[in-house]
Amino acid sequence: MKFKRVNAMYYIFSLMGGLLILFILLPILRSFLAQTPSILIKEATDKGVQEAIFNSVFLAVVSATIAALFGVPLAYILARKKFFGKSFIESIVDLPLAIPHTVAGILLLFVFGRYGMVGVLFERFFSLRFVGTKLGIIVAMLFVSLPFMVNYAREGFEMVDVRLEQVASTLGATPFEVFRRVSLPLAIRGVLTGWVLTWARAISEFGAVIILAYHPMTAPIKVYDVFTQLDLKHSSAVAVLFLVICLAGFVIFRFLAFGGIGKSGKR
Amino acid sequence: MIEIKDLDIDLGEFRLRDVNLSIDEGEIFVILGPSGAGKTVLLETVVGFFPPKRGSIILNGNLANDLPPERRNIGFIFQDYALFPHLTVRENILFGTRYRQIDDVEEKFDKIVTTLSINNILHRYSKTLSGGEQQRVSLARALIMEPGLLLFDEPLSSLDERVREGLRDELRIILKKMKQTSLFVTHDQTEALVIADRIGVMYDGRIVQIGKPEEIFNTPVNEYVASFVGVETVLEGKVASYLDGLVVVDVNRVKIEVVADVPVGERVLLGIRPENVTLSVVRERKSSSARNNFIAKVIKLTPLGAVVKVNLDCGFPLVALITKQSVEEIGLEEKEEAVVSFKATAVHVIRQ
Repeated sequence: MKFKRVNAMYYIFSLMGGLLILFILLPILRSFLAQTPSILIKEATDKGVQEAIFNSVFLAVVSATIAALFGVPLAYILARKKFFGKSFIESIVDLPLAIPHTVAGILLLFVFGRYGMVGVLFERFFSLRFVGTKLGIIVAMLFVSLPFMVNYAREGFEMVDVRLEQVASTLGATPFEVFRRVSLPLAIRGVLTGWVLTWARAISEFGAVIILAYHPMTAPIKVYDVFTQLDLKHSSAVAVLFLVICLAGFVIFRFLAFGGIGKSGKR
Repeated sequence: MIEIKDLDIDLGEFRLRDVNLSIDEGEIFVILGPSGAGKTVLLETVVGFFPPKRGSIILNGNLANDLPPERRNIGFIFQDYALFPHLTVRENILFGTRYRQIDDVEEKFDKIVTTLSINNILHRYSKTLSGGEQQRVSLARALIMEPGLLLFDEPLSSLDERVREGLRDELRIILKKMKQTSLFVTHDQTEALVIADRIGVMYDGRIVQIGKPEEIFNTPVNEYVASFVGVETVLEGKVASYLDGLVVVDVNRVKIEVVADVPVGERVLLGIRPENVTLSVVRERKSSSARNNFIAKVIKLTPLGAVVKVNLDCGFPLVALITKQSVEEIGLEEKEEAVVSFKATAVHVIRQ
């Protein structure tokens, strides 16, 4: 670059941003350094801890996938159609972001609890319960994380040129074929980004999950459980183990979605 | 045959009224009109992206109004070609072939890519292609579907001038060879003249004149059509001889030399832009590199600001546009004689 313009603003902005990054990284690094190897190994080999971490990872995958299954069609409609009450629907999609998580758990209990209408139906026809089960954990995770799925997928679809869909229809493709062969492949980044962030949001959920199901335990609840039953040293060991799994998952999924963690998701 | 009857369209700021036209099998119909006249909206209604407010669109005797685009079998060439960026050229061209019964797809594919000379880019993606290549690919993608009607939305306007002229002539040859019924919209008068079998001039949401190119250019129905299509001279003639790319065309027994590749005996249209005609006075006649020199009678001089429009009779009608200064210097006057010259390369030749 021949013309180099140094402006004090960029130094100040970089400094402020740098502090923010440090604010994220410092606690993470500090927690790693605070570990006592013997306690870390003890907790890592503990069956309850392993189960809790597996539950978190696996159930978050399930709820992110359910969110994609129902959220992608909704996202496509929101990206393509104008209809009465559209902005109302969009607000409803964002609503879970504004509801405190324990409150979300209480709300879900009204519908999915033993005497809630969906809870009663599932109990009668499938002998399935939500309270105190993995099903309940999925419901809680889904509720708090689905806005990410819908919003990112919608952004992806909005970036697809409508004329590409139109030309596909003139070539004989039905609306579903247009969606399958043109819209979805071209919006796939948005959809995958949505899936990853939904997963990340779901795996970290504590408040809504603890109200629907203390047991079977997910990792955030296990951390809290060990903290109240034992001490900070033991619970921080569980926390660090969970953190490693989360970070690894996040990196892997981001890599799959964007073909590299260095690149930004947006163009 | 395609018929559009009493079509009214209301779409945002565009209002089209009483559009009536029919296109014969294999005919190229061009809608000529200024930007913002609603030409694109008309195409989008014919293909089925929007419903008309009133009127009917009839494809080979069947009312198409209520059919969705995927069941109309109408192709659409967009201004920017709209190639699928996630597919290769080959995949783009074959995109629609699974939705319609097409005999001998492979054979047809080979024939089309050869005709359009895109054999060697089949593995590439659209973002690596030039504008001309993208245009050919989108044409191939539409043609392989054997559409009953092919629509073109100003498909040459985003190309640079040099590519555009070559492709323009080639487009007509290809469409004629494939006997492809086509509806083409443009704001470019020369493009309409070169490509069309018939032209419909659109103004203010209505089609104000429909006719063969020579009718539109030579006998515009009103002042608007006249000023919009300009004063290009269009002549009908027959090829009298052909030698090394130089063709002599017989127009009303006057011989005009043009550069073209047309066999003897064929009927052609000649287009001559008025700014390409030069005038001199009779007594100063000199030898010139211009192949066409005629003695003509000045019919009328019409001042148009800095230039003067000169209507001439050289055995055929001709219009020239020259500066006011030249008119004075050579002492041009009505009813006097003058020598008319234009180059063989300045004549547009349109094969019928």
